[in-house]
Amino acid sequence: MSHARASKHNMTRKGTILIVDDEFDSATVTAVRRGLDEEGWDPVVVRPEANWSIADEFEAAAIYAIEERQPDGVLLDVRFGDQAGERFKGLDILQRIVERFPGLPVLMFTQYAQGPDRDTAVRGALTREAPVDFIDKLASPGEVVLRLRRLIGTSPSTIPIGSRPDCQILVNKDSRLVYAGTEGRMAPVHEIQGMKFEIFRELAEAWYHSPGELVTFGRLERYSDGEDPRASLRVRIREIKVALGRALGVRFSAGELIINARDQGYRLLPPSI
Amino acid sequence: MSRSIGGLWMQTWSIICGVGVFAAGVVSLLLAPLVGSSLFTSVWTVEPLTYIGGGLVALGLGVVSLAYAFPSIRGVKSSAAVPSDDVADRWRQLTQQYFDLFNHDLGRPLRRISGQERELRAVLLSSGKSIDPNVLSLLEEIEMQTTNFRLMLSNIQVLVDLQGPDGQVHPQPVEPSEVVRRIVDRYTPVAEQTMKEITWWTEPSEFGLVYSDSSAIEHIVTNLVDNAVRFADSHIEIKLTRNLTHFFVRVWDDGPGVSPQYVQHVFDHGWTPEVARREEKSSSGLGLFIARTLANRWHGELTLESVSGPGQDHHSEFLLGLPHGGHEHVSADPVQ
Repeated sequence: MSHARASKHNMTRKGTILIVDDEFDSATVTAVRRGLDEEGWDPVVVRPEANWSIADEFEAAAIYAIEERQPDGVLLDVRFGDQAGERFKGLDILQRIVERFPGLPVLMFTQYAQGPDRDTAVRGALTREAPVDFIDKLASPGEVVLRLRRLIGTSPSTIPIGSRPDCQILVNKDSRLVYAGTEGRMAPVHEIQGMKFEIFRELAEAWYHSPGELVTFGRLERYSDGEDPRASLRVRIREIKVALGRALGVRFSAGELIINARDQGYRLLPPSI
Repeated sequence: MSRSIGGLWMQTWSIICGVGVFAAGVVSLLLAPLVGSSLFTSVWTVEPLTYIGGGLVALGLGVVSLAYAFPSIRGVKSSAAVPSDDVADRWRQLTQQYFDLFNHDLGRPLRRISGQERELRAVLLSSGKSIDPNVLSLLEEIEMQTTNFRLMLSNIQVLVDLQGPDGQVHPQPVEPSEVVRRIVDRYTPVAEQTMKEITWWTEPSEFGLVYSDSSAIEHIVTNLVDNAVRFADSHIEIKLTRNLTHFFVRVWDDGPGVSPQYVQHVFDHGWTPEVARREEKSSSGLGLFIARTLANRWHGELTLESVSGPGQDHHSEFLLGLPHGGHEHVSADPVQ
């Protein structure tokens, strides 16, 4: 039996996120960096060479870092310093990024996540069809990660599911296999193939983009057959749960792993600590 | 601003000219008995300096009086013609500036606290050691209050907007499923802390665009979800649907529900369940009031259906319905 080794720290890195914030040593930025690192991104913090400089140095340093590192996304503060001219410097930097690197996703990290200034900036950015979004600086690192996932757009070829070290599940879209096991030692679950793999992949991708999202029967029934597609789907879901439970040495009840919500569809509920 | 400076300039010059004319009149009157007869007898039969002086004094007084009176007359006229749009707009801008300052400066210490809390939590969790329940409770309280603070600030922002003179709504293309996704991103960790679950879905699964206001939808639904997470026993559901004319957001929770006698007060300004129980309020009671006001501004409806009391079926279900075609430049009343 082949084994795949995977953990949060040795799994394939997803790419680079550039962080441009004048308070780059603050606890807020540190917490976000940690969240991105745990998610599998390489967070790179822009630090201008001259300590005394603020806004213009950050602008030059950010543009240089984008050219050098070619990040997958940018997390950009709006406010640089407390002087009137620097209040919305981040919007100037955003404008330059959008002009020079169209298509590069930028998540604006700001206390101005609402209000007229945000609306003006959004309108300015939207006219160029740039992937730009705003998030409150009080957002949790998990929220920042989720927003970046969607802003960057593509789901990775490997989706790790669950936070319990003894109960890890991994969906690999390239090999079209689901792996299960303990952290660092996982084995493919060969029973989950074909339509069962497609069902589990749909559930995993929905969960990856929005953990609470339910996949409706309408979306899943294309992976079922027979006169009663819903019954067929129910059987396949049960088989997936049994197969994963066997691989992990646990038994998943009706309210675990894959749950039926209000008879509207299914959603993934990863094993948690 | 330039207009008021121009007005002040004109008034000052009018006063200077008026005082000058008045002074010239006084000088003429003083000189008239001394030099008037000898100077003008050969020219006219009547000595004119007295009359000229009297005229200049009257003219000077008139100019000065008008210079003082004109701005107030103009002010009264302009306020009658245009119902203080300028003043309201300036007031709104000022309020917005103060709000931004408040948001930034009050947010700074909270960002530091929440940042430190998140770091501490991450370090404690990665250590693998058991965490003192009191420490965990404190960390969760900070996280919870951070979410409350964010909502409070956005509620104030909306109040500022609603009080403004601009009674127009400007529909834009909006993807409601993305708005709901953001809200779920924000509240899922909060719900998980208290062992609650949020599930959401759309029908149809490819929901598409509507013409409405992204900020308004986000604000209304955030208040509904915040309320549901606060009161749910264990489950919160959010469902997006649409028909030919409207789209609907249904926010359901399995909490204790609202007693029939209080259902009519749920959207009142400042009402919270604690008010009915004579207990300390845990929230401002602004959220649902603002949510309904915004829904009405967008020609929509926000209603509550609730079952309370003992039994398994207790729940609350808020239903927001908004037109998805948009109403161009529909006027609306600001908050009373």
